[in-house]
Amino acid sequence: MAEIRIKNLHKEFGTGQDKVVALENVNLEITGHSFVSIVGPSGCGKSTLLNILTGIETPTNGTVDITSDGHVAAPGYVFQAARLLPWRTVTDNLLFVQEDRSDSTKQRCQRYLEMVQLGDKGDKFPGELSGGMQQRVGIARAFSIEPDVLFMDEPFSHLDAITARALRRELHHMWDETKKMVVFVTHDVGEAVELSNRILVFAKGGSLEDDIQIDLPFPRDPADDEVAVAKAHVLRKFEELDLLAS
Amino acid sequence: MTVTETRPSTADSSRPAPTPAQRVAAIPMQIAKSPHFARVLFPIALFAVWLLSLAAVEEIWPFAVDVLPTPSEVGAFMWDEFITDTLARKNLYETFYISLRRLMSGFAIAMVLGTALGLAMGLSRATNAFCHDWTMAILAMPALAWALFNSIIFGFDDRGPILTVILAGIPFVIVNVREGVRNTPRELFDMARSFQVPQSKVIRHVLVPSLMPFMFAAARYCFSIGWKGLVIAEVFGGQDGAGWTIKFWYDAHRAHGVVGYAAFFVIFAILFERLVFEPISRRAFRWRPQLQTEVVEEAFGEHHEHYGEEETARH
Repeated sequence: MAEIRIKNLHKEFGTGQDKVVALENVNLEITGHSFVSIVGPSGCGKSTLLNILTGIETPTNGTVDITSDGHVAAPGYVFQAARLLPWRTVTDNLLFVQEDRSDSTKQRCQRYLEMVQLGDKGDKFPGELSGGMQQRVGIARAFSIEPDVLFMDEPFSHLDAITARALRRELHHMWDETKKMVVFVTHDVGEAVELSNRILVFAKGGSLEDDIQIDLPFPRDPADDEVAVAKAHVLRKFEELDLLAS
Repeated sequence: MTVTETRPSTADSSRPAPTPAQRVAAIPMQIAKSPHFARVLFPIALFAVWLLSLAAVEEIWPFAVDVLPTPSEVGAFMWDEFITDTLARKNLYETFYISLRRLMSGFAIAMVLGTALGLAMGLSRATNAFCHDWTMAILAMPALAWALFNSIIFGFDDRGPILTVILAGIPFVIVNVREGVRNTPRELFDMARSFQVPQSKVIRHVLVPSLMPFMFAAARYCFSIGWKGLVIAEVFGGQDGAGWTIKFWYDAHRAHGVVGYAAFFVIFAILFERLVFEPISRRAFRWRPQLQTEVVEEAFGEHHEHYGEEETARH
């Protein structure tokens, strides 16, 4: 079972007058098969936190431990833009992040491509696919390494509403089927309520302001009263924290 | 709240389908727009301009009759060369083999050295500062200066022409590779790092392919500029090769020989482009969905058509 333990995490960029505090004294624990969304206004340190969790950036102070059954956990990452290698086919993009190119690995990649409805697009180049399809490949790539934890940085923000909704359903289905932990960064409160069982609210300056549990059954329809009420609840929290104006 | 729904008609009434007569009428315009037609049209236009200039010059200056070659004289000369019936010391194939050997030696050295230097300059600001001005100086130097300089130093053997190819081509390789390194896609490196992809694999699958368009541009420049440099070097510092042979026909006062040999240069360059660069380019860049120029042309074409329709409607 995957676990994330963050203790006294602090991150600054620049020095002297140019110093910017991106994250301030964040303490956090996430365990098991959870879908955790990190929400907050622009500049609240959402993406910085994700970059630290995935090792792209190092913290100024504090510790981050990501383990799975006592071992260092394997992370998967879905980016805002799909970040596919344009000169490699869809299948080769999945194979690029694998440890080997054995038959079983290829079969696994194909299985995840089929999960995102792209089973027949393996020999296409990313440039031949739509934006939504490219993001699907990005999701399949992240799942294909069978990570203990999956980090997603506003993966649907570049897509149109209809495609984003279809992908949210697919993502939820994959999360449910694979029993992975997902840490999902978004600025869309509705999206967070639809997908997550826990929402972490960050404020400008990088402080963790609230930790909200959403105990509603899945799948969630945004049109359902209970989901709308939960969304209104989170937005009220935003108002209380004076985050809406920013 | 009330939501009303209206199903749109599937038939596109704003644009009626063209009739068979309209389709036939559009054929000449389609042919005129075709790139194949444009390719065929160019040599015909060139031939026409040649004949017209010949007639005009002879009208103004009758002495030119013996000097200016006619297409038939040039054609006959090229055919003789083609079947190895030549007055020069070496036939067409031996000559081009000698030049090509020199060109490929210089080209290979320029590509290897230029790539290494370009990589170093792209990765290190200090190396860039150290080499930048010298690269620009070499870039600014005309191939003729290198050809003369090298023939003075090395005399009439292969070294002078090869060094000229290197010096003429290498700055283009350096500058292109350096720009390639500066434009490497950082977000793809971050992606690879977050998936913990080994460094060697990142170099093979991210760095090298991202440099390929720049390397390819470098190779094309290096080849064409190197070829021009080589011909000049052979004119001044060679005892054989394509440049020396064109000089031989010049010294022999055979204008059809000079023009015919220049035409062989053009044919050689076109063949090399079609048989070597284009197939490699197609294979290496097959991931690109469409060439940018075609996209621009299509966009302009559509706009143009709509504009045309509006104009017609207005009248």
